[in-house]
Amino acid sequence: MDKLIDDELLVAQFQAGRQNAFDELMKRYKSKIFSYLLRSVRNYEDAEDITIEVFFKAYRALEGWQPKAKFSTWLYKIASNLAIDYHRAKARRPVYALDDTEIPETHLVATDLHSDPEKQLEEKERGILIREAVDQLSPKQKAVFMLSRYEGLQLKEVAETLDMAEGTVKIHLHRAVKRLQTLLRPLWENNEI
Amino acid sequence: MKFDGWSRDHDHRDGVPSLKGEGIMPKCKKSEGQAIDYASKLLPPAEEEPFEEHLKNCEDCTEAVASYTAVLELTNKAQEELVVPELALQNIEMNVYKRLAATQEQTLFSRIRAYFTNVGSPFGWYKTAAVSSVAIALIVTVLLIGNPFQPEMPLQLSEAQSADARIEQYRQQGIQRNLEEALITHHLRNDAWETESQLHRMKEQAQGTNWTKVADKHLQNLQSGNSTLQ
Repeated sequence: MDKLIDDELLVAQFQAGRQNAFDELMKRYKSKIFSYLLRSVRNYEDAEDITIEVFFKAYRALEGWQPKAKFSTWLYKIASNLAIDYHRAKARRPVYALDDTEIPETHLVATDLHSDPEKQLEEKERGILIREAVDQLSPKQKAVFMLSRYEGLQLKEVAETLDMAEGTVKIHLHRAVKRLQTLLRPLWENNEI
Repeated sequence: MKFDGWSRDHDHRDGVPSLKGEGIMPKCKKSEGQAIDYASKLLPPAEEEPFEEHLKNCEDCTEAVASYTAVLELTNKAQEELVVPELALQNIEMNVYKRLAATQEQTLFSRIRAYFTNVGSPFGWYKTAAVSSVAIALIVTVLLIGNPFQPEMPLQLSEAQSADARIEQYRQQGIQRNLEEALITHHLRNDAWETESQLHRMKEQAQGTNWTKVADKHLQNLQSGNSTLQ
């Protein structure tokens, strides 16, 4: 299928009964949604389960979907809401804190003969410290920061995804960056990152 | 990672760490909102040039932009390191359709259960009699004159049928993918043990289809030391 076909056209095709259109939409967005959820929930299995749930919900709701916003924004909105539900449920359960120990060290596998495992380990530890800093943002700051910085959504799209005013999104983003500056600067100055 | 956002040596304040960014030193008003927007590339185009002019004469803002840029570069790099495993992505579509099919089965089951629960109510038998009569009339009609809905309605799969068809489609794709992987393992890595286990996985996945014969053939060739796996 032509990659240039708009998402909204694919949605219209699906609504007209063409199942392949939904497959194409899943193909386009599964990696993005999975990455977004992985950053949010920090666990591969849960990210996979929620990704499946996102497309399941999208499939069920797509028949009556009206293109008021972009399809991708709508999909991120479903993912964002499910991630919030996940964090709420997890907060109610007495389980261990989110940390990178749940993430397999796939990127530590030597990819070429010149790779340095010690350096890779240092990079991993540095990555953990930085991601922990991002985790210390408030839920709204983190959601805005992730959608804007990692998913490449425009402020308007972030606002639509999170049901916020654009000005509020900007305020959360400013606070997030300032908070990260406060958290990361001492680590940088102590050579920890 | 190299960037000039922060100094580790605090050399710009004669050994005293800069406290800018932490709200202690008096700062230019633009060193927060506009500096963050500039570092994040979110500053409106009309404000970009005037701010760049401002940067030439404002140490606070220059330092703030460098610092925020450093923050963003660090966080970007750390997030890029999170890798989405290709294997997890391969099964997303099939699992979505499985989830849809399971929900359909549940819905059907709930309807049947609700129906039979209802039969116990005072009006249940009337309903049963009415539904049975309609069902019998429909069956007789279909037997005598063919499917009465066929000419008017285009063939359209129901959600459940569609989900089942999709599951089968993705299962077939998974079988083929496993076979391809087994062949790649055999030809490129010459790893008989891994090839065999991949073929067994494929055979297990292919139960009830002709693909099991294909798997058996390849397994036989492999066990007899025949290198002509194709």
